[in-house]
This record gives sequence, structure tokens and C-alpha cells, in this order.
Amino acid sequence: MIPETLIVERGVSAGDQWVTVGAADVHDALAAANEGGYRLLVFLSCVDHLADSSRKWPARYEVIYQLRNMDTLEQLRVRAFVDGDPPRIDSVSDLFPPANWDERETYDLFGVVFNGHPELTRILMPDDWVGHPLRRDYPVGGEVVEFSEEHEAWQTAPDKA
Amino acid sequence: MADRSGQSVTDTIGQGVTIDRSGETGAFGGEILTVNFGPHHPSTHGVLRLIVDLDGEQVRSLKPVIGYLHTGIEKQMEALRWQQGVVVTDRHDYLSPPINNLAYALAVERLLGVEVPPRAQALRVIMSELTRLSSHLVWMGTSGLELGAMSMLMYCFRERDTIMDMNEEISGFRMHTSYIRPGGVFADATPRFLEMLDHFVNTMPSNIDEYEALLTNNPIWRSRTIGVGRLSADDAKVLGATGPMLRGSGVAWDLRKAIPYTGYESYDFEIATSDMCDCYGRYLVRIKEMREAVKILRQALDRLPDGPVNIDDRKVLPPPREELETSMEAVIHHFKLFTEGYSVPPGDVYVAVESGRGENGCYIVSDGTHKPRRVKFRSASFVNLQALERMALNHMVADMIAIIGTADAVLGDCDR
Repeated sequence: MIPETLIVERGVSAGDQWVTVGAADVHDALAAANEGGYRLLVFLSCVDHLADSSRKWPARYEVIYQLRNMDTLEQLRVRAFVDGDPPRIDSVSDLFPPANWDERETYDLFGVVFNGHPELTRILMPDDWVGHPLRRDYPVGGEVVEFSEEHEAWQTAPDKA
Repeated sequence: MADRSGQSVTDTIGQGVTIDRSGETGAFGGEILTVNFGPHHPSTHGVLRLIVDLDGEQVRSLKPVIGYLHTGIEKQMEALRWQQGVVVTDRHDYLSPPINNLAYALAVERLLGVEVPPRAQALRVIMSELTRLSSHLVWMGTSGLELGAMSMLMYCFRERDTIMDMNEEISGFRMHTSYIRPGGVFADATPRFLEMLDHFVNTMPSNIDEYEALLTNNPIWRSRTIGVGRLSADDAKVLGATGPMLRGSGVAWDLRKAIPYTGYESYDFEIATSDMCDCYGRYLVRIKEMREAVKILRQALDRLPDGPVNIDDRKVLPPPREELETSMEAVIHHFKLFTEGYSVPPGDVYVAVESGRGENGCYIVSDGTHKPRRVKFRSASFVNLQALERMALNHMVADMIAIIGTADAVLGDCDR
């Protein structure tokens, strides 16, 4: 199980158990959880809390790891908050093989860089795509139109979210 | 069952990394060729692209390339109100829309803290199982087509069309039903739907016997699938495979039993498993699952409870049409709901349901407004495809087709 020293906060959201760990401790915490029986990483993703005033967030990006113990049916959500440009966090693809594509997807759509990932490339968007579409400051329908006056504006507009 | 490739399948897990080995000498004295396969190839079930290193006809490494069907569904959901999002969920795993609806609806309901009435739960089970049947029928038809059992497609699509007719009767749409919604279902089942369902449940077992007569002991089908695409139980677990991929490796894991939802705990059915760990095992699992689905449908139909099919909450669902003519309050609720929508308490929740492909999950974050902050779909195809290299290594190119087929990935689900 995750050592208490690594846990920053814990709680229950709509019936789901969760713990928050420091961004630097993610690999240690998940290794401990893996040892403790949480062998399945159901999914890994990210939430962008830009301009969310409903709660107080420690950082803009929250990386989510949903774990499951398939013997005891316990589920646990591990959350880690990261900031920075680009935000960086350790890869867990050595602990959980399915994290490989999940981390590539999170890099592709949120721009979170996973240190130590074997091949961190875009997975859903084309390789030459500019920007990370699931960030909240990336406009919906913000497709770059060549030879348009708005070409530059679309690429940089933070207010179109 | 012997592994035809003759190689240990427990060494390092493929990370999807391919080294271009063109020009190297292969085991048979020829060159290793790097070949692009897809994305526009009929046997890739959509737009899956594979980069394959071939030594003669043997696969030496395989790297799936996805993203050709990425439609930004998660981004769109953030721009739509809670009740509008249902329509988008239909479209990621396009072979099982009601099951996608169900995952989303259950997640929203968990955040709202409501539970739907028993009749709505039973109708949700009925739609889920019909969807599972239709999804497996498409799988069996197309896989049969690829492996030389051409007539399978005709037989499977015959029954699938009956299911489509039932979808049309109950929801008005044949494919993208949007039938299951937060707070209940679109409408009550019509008497005609129940008649059609009764007839379907009575005739389906003999239809499944017919499929089995065509495939189970068919020497061509057996030689194309037995021993092909082995995935041991340990590998399947480590790679996070779910659904028939995991159960075909002998692991009795089904979310309907393990973490029951929408009343599945009250139905009597078995988890279909097979210890063969190969393509044939996954075929047997799907056949068994179809029989179990018919069993569940029969139970649901026999004890379909009476009562409402929606929660009685005017903040989430519109008032009945007749009330609008007499009640001012109903008009206000109606107006508010269709202009502003409803807001969901802040929080996050993850709900997983068992689709025909495995664990179909929906993770929702609400910031308390009338639109979701983040919706993430955990799709079974996305995770199951990562096991492709493990299964196809050292097999022939033709076997690779069988392996892609039994992985049953829907690329819309994978790319979302």
C-alpha cells in the first residue's frame, strides 16, 4: 500500500476513494500500490483546472491514476498536481504496461511530459500538430485555416476557450 | 495448447517500439522488410494502421498506429450541456451506443446522487444485452468473412437487423439510439417492442446453434484460430486486457459480476471463459456470452417491473407534455432546462460498465456548472490493442488478420 508519508490528502468523491500524492512521489507511490495488490491501472489521464473557481486547486494540471485490485475489488484514484510549461511528471509505464499509450495520449492532448517514457510521441493527433487540444485554453473548433487573417490568432488565442 | 510460434510469451512486454530493421538478414536468409499495413485495409476493422517487420512471411515486430478516427469527442463534451452530451457518447464505440450511454448516465447520476426506478434499470439491462449481442454478431460476421467463412456475415447481419428494428421501435433510431440518459431512459418500451423482444429471445438460441454449426467444428475455422494469437492469463492481466480478450485467457472477470451496476446482481448468468488462450478461445467466449445475453434478456422480460421509467426530478428531466398546458411551474422548468440545462455538484467519479469489448468506463469531473469540466472515456479497444504485438509476434501475416479480428477493436472507440 502507499506509505502514509507520501499521502498529502485523502478523501471520497461520489463513493470513489482517492488520495493525493506529491508530483515527485508518483512513481514511488504507484510502485507501492502495485506491490500492495493494485495491479491494474484502469486508466491514466489529466484534468486541466484552468479558471475553475469551484474549488481551490494547488496547480493547474491534475494527473489521475485509477487503480484496481482485481482480487479484493478495491479501487483507488491517485491524484498528483503539476504546474510548469511543460508540466513534467515521472512515467509509470515501467510499472504498468498499459500506461504506455495512456501517457502518450496525455502528452498529446494536454502536453504533460512523462520523464522516462520509452517513446513519448503524439498518438491521436498528427505528428506535426501544434498545441494540445484538451487544454482549456485551446479553442473548440479552432482549426487553422491557411491564408486566413485569423491564422495567427487561432494558434495563440487563450480567450477562445 | 501449444504456442505455434514456439517462443516464450513471458519475457519483456512489448512497448510498441519498433526498430526499423530493413536490410538485416532474417532467419530464412532473406531480408527483413518493414511493411506498412493499413489504415485503409478492409481487414483492419476500420482505420487501424500497422507497421510490421516481416521476415519472409513471419511477423518479427508490429507497431499499431492509431488516431485516424480521432474526432475529439472528449473535447466536444466539454462544450455541451450535461443532457446534450448523451448524443456524443453514442458515437465513440459505434457498435455499442446504449452501453456508452449507460456509462455516461451512471456517472452523471452518481454525481447527482439519484437512482433510476426499477423499470428503467430493467430496460437499461435489456438494451445493454441487445447491444452486446449485436456487437458480437458484427464481430463474428466480419471475422468469419476474413477467415474464409463468407456466409457468416449473411447469417449474423440477419439477426443484427432484427436488433436494429427493435432499436428503432424503442428509440426511433436504428444505430445511435441515445436511449439511456441521465435520470432514466428516453421512453417506455412499447407493447410492440416487447412482442418483438419476446420473439427474438425465443428464436435466438436456435440461431446461435446455427452459427456454431457453421464454425465451431469447421476444420478451416479451427485451423485458422486454434493456437493462433496466444495470450497467457498473466500477460493478459499485465497488459490490462479486459472483456473477451481476458476471459478468453481463462480469467473469470466480468464487471457485471465483479462490480455490479444497474441491477445486474439480480440476474442469473455465468461468466463465459475459455482456457484455450487463443483466437478460438476468444470465439468460444463470445458464443457463450451471446447465449448468456439471451438468458438475461429472458429474465428481464419475464419480470419487467411496472412503474415510471424516469426519476421524478423536474430539474434534470423535462416535465410531461400535458403538464405544460396547465402548469406555469412546468413551463418554467421546461424553459430553464432547455436554455441553461442543469448543473451537477462539483466532484469527480469513475463508472465502468462491461461492453462487448471489455471495460467501457466514463470518468467525469464537474466544476458545478451546467457543462462538464472533463469527460474521459476509458475504452477497452485502446488498451486491448496494446496486446496486439504480444499476440502476433512470430506468426504468419495471414494469422495476424485472425488476431486483429479476435481483438475486436472498434477504432472509433480507440481514438474517440
